[in-house]
Amino acid sequence: MKEALRVEWTKLRTVAGTGWLLAAVVLLTVGLGVASSFAVNCSGVGCGQDPAKISLSGIAFGQVVVAVLAVSAVGGEYGTGMIRVTLAAIPRRSTVLVAKAAVVGALVLVAGSAAVLVSVLAGRFILRDNGFTEAHGHAVLSLADGPVLRAAVGSVLYLVLVGLLSLGVATAVRDAAAAIGIVLGLLYLFPIVAAVVSDPDWVERLQRISPMTAGLAVQATTGLDSLPIGPWAGLGVLSLWAAGALSGGGLLLRLRDA
Amino acid sequence: MLPSLLAMEATIQVTGLRKRFGSTVALDGMTFTVAPGKVTGFVGPNGAGKSTTMRAILGLDSVEAGQALVGGRPYRSLRHPLRQVGSLLDASALQPSRTGRNHLLWLAHSQGLGARRVDEVVEQVGLASAIRRRAGGYSLGMRQRLGIASALLGDPPVLVLDEPVNGMDPEGIRWMRGFLRSLAAEGRAVLVSSHLMSELQDTADHVVIVGRGKVIADVGVSELIESASGDRVTLRTSARTQAVTVLAGAGATVAVTGADTLTVTGLSGERVVALLGGSAVPFSEVSAHRASLEEAYMELTRDAVEYHAAEIQESAR
Repeated sequence: MKEALRVEWTKLRTVAGTGWLLAAVVLLTVGLGVASSFAVNCSGVGCGQDPAKISLSGIAFGQVVVAVLAVSAVGGEYGTGMIRVTLAAIPRRSTVLVAKAAVVGALVLVAGSAAVLVSVLAGRFILRDNGFTEAHGHAVLSLADGPVLRAAVGSVLYLVLVGLLSLGVATAVRDAAAAIGIVLGLLYLFPIVAAVVSDPDWVERLQRISPMTAGLAVQATTGLDSLPIGPWAGLGVLSLWAAGALSGGGLLLRLRDA
Repeated sequence: MLPSLLAMEATIQVTGLRKRFGSTVALDGMTFTVAPGKVTGFVGPNGAGKSTTMRAILGLDSVEAGQALVGGRPYRSLRHPLRQVGSLLDASALQPSRTGRNHLLWLAHSQGLGARRVDEVVEQVGLASAIRRRAGGYSLGMRQRLGIASALLGDPPVLVLDEPVNGMDPEGIRWMRGFLRSLAAEGRAVLVSSHLMSELQDTADHVVIVGRGKVIADVGVSELIESASGDRVTLRTSARTQAVTVLAGAGATVAVTGADTLTVTGLSGERVVALLGGSAVPFSEVSAHRASLEEAYMELTRDAVEYHAAEIQESAR
C-alpha cells in the first residue's frame, strides 16, 4: 500500500495540470466568496443573511475544479491505455483505487483548507464593512465561533467528498468526459429539479438526497431550523454518495478486464 | 547477472485458455509453454488471440477456463510482478505530458525500486538524451524503447512483448533484434508477438503459431525451415530446356523459378550435379534451397489448416 501511495503521488506530481487545477480550486473558491461578500449588504437587524455561508459560497464553484482534478486522475489513464501498465505493475486493483482516493483526497484537503481559510478571512473584513455588525445582530466572522468552524471544516470535507465521488464515477465509466458530465449532473440536477417542482414535500425530499444541497447544509450557521436536513447529516448524505460511487467503481474495476 | 533459480523462474505456461467476447471466440484452448534462454515468436494474423493471451498472462483479462502461470505462479499473486515479468503491450500507453523519466519513475516506485534503476535501464535502451523530455513528443520508435526500458525495470526473468518492432525504422528493428537475442542469451524467457512472420526471421529460436484462438504449430525455427525447405535444389543454368529434360527424365519435378533458375524437387544436389555433368549441360550454381521463415509459415499453415489457410496468408502479407 505504501508503494501504491507513492506511485499515485508520483503520477499526479509529474503530470501537467495538477498544480494548475489545485491553484484554480483556491482561486475560484476565494474569488467567488469574495465577490459574494462584496455583493451583499446587511442594512438592519435580522437581514436574513448567513455570513458564513456567503463567505464560503465559492465552494459551489471550486467543486467543479475538484471534480475535474479527480476525474482526470483516473480518466487520464483510461484515455491513454496507461491503466493497463498500472494494473500490470499493481495487480491488486482495490489497492490502486484506494491509493488514488487517498492521494487525490489529501491534495484536495490541502487546497480546500487554503481556499476555506482565505475565504473566511476575507469574508470577516468585507462582510463587517457591509453591515454584518454586532449592531445588526451579527458577530464578526471567526473560526473561534462553533458553527462557523463547523461550516469551514465541513466545506473542506465537502470538497474532499466531491473529489472521491468524482473518482468513483470516473472509475466506473472509464471516460473523463462522460464522468465529468455525470458528476456535474449529480451535483446540479437535484437543485434544478427542486426549483421547478411545486409540491413542497417533494422539494424537501429532493433536497435531502441531493449531494450538493444536502452536503452544503454544513455551511449554515443561521436559520438551522428551516434547513431541509441537519448540517452533519447533510454531509453524511454526500458521504453516502461518495462511498457508493467509490465502491461501485471499485467493484467494476475488479470485475472487468483492464 | 540473473539469479541461479532462473531456469525455473524463467517460464510461461499457458494451459487451455478459453475466452469469448460476446459471441466471438477469442481463445479456444490456447496452450503452449515458453522456455528460458530463447526468444519465442508468437505469430498469427490479427485477431488470432495473441494480445488477449498476453493480457491473460499478465492478469489483465480474465479467462473462462484454463490458466496462465509465470515462473509457476499466477501473475496476480506476485508481490512485485515486474521483477518476475517485464511486459510491453502498447508503447503509446502513457500520458503525453509526463517525461519519459518520470513515467519510469512511478513504475519503479511500484516495485520498490528507485531512480538509480531508472537511469540504468534508460542507458540500456539508449534513450538517455531524450528521457527528460515529455513522452508525448517521442517518435513511435522512441516509445518502443521507453516501453522496453519499463519492461526491464525489474530485471525480470520473463519478458512479454506485444509487437515491439511495430512502427520502428530499419535501424531500430535491427537494434531490437540484437537486444532481444542478448536478453535470451542471458537466460531469460522472451515471448514476442508479431503478425508478420518475416519480422521474426533472425530473432526467434522457436515459434508458436496461432489462429482463431488456438495453437496451430509450436516448433523450433530451424526445424520449421528445414521441413519447409524439403530436398529442393536451386539450379542456375543458361541451358534451361536441356536441364529440364535431363532432370525430369531422372524422375525429378522441376519448376522454372526465374530466367535462368530452376527449382528441383526429388533429387539431391549431388545427383543433380552428376546428371548434368554426364549430359554435358552447362550450369553455374547448384545449391540446396533454404526456405525463408515466411515461406515455411505459409507452407505450414497451408498444410495444417486447409480451411482457413487462405485467410492467414492474406493477413500475413
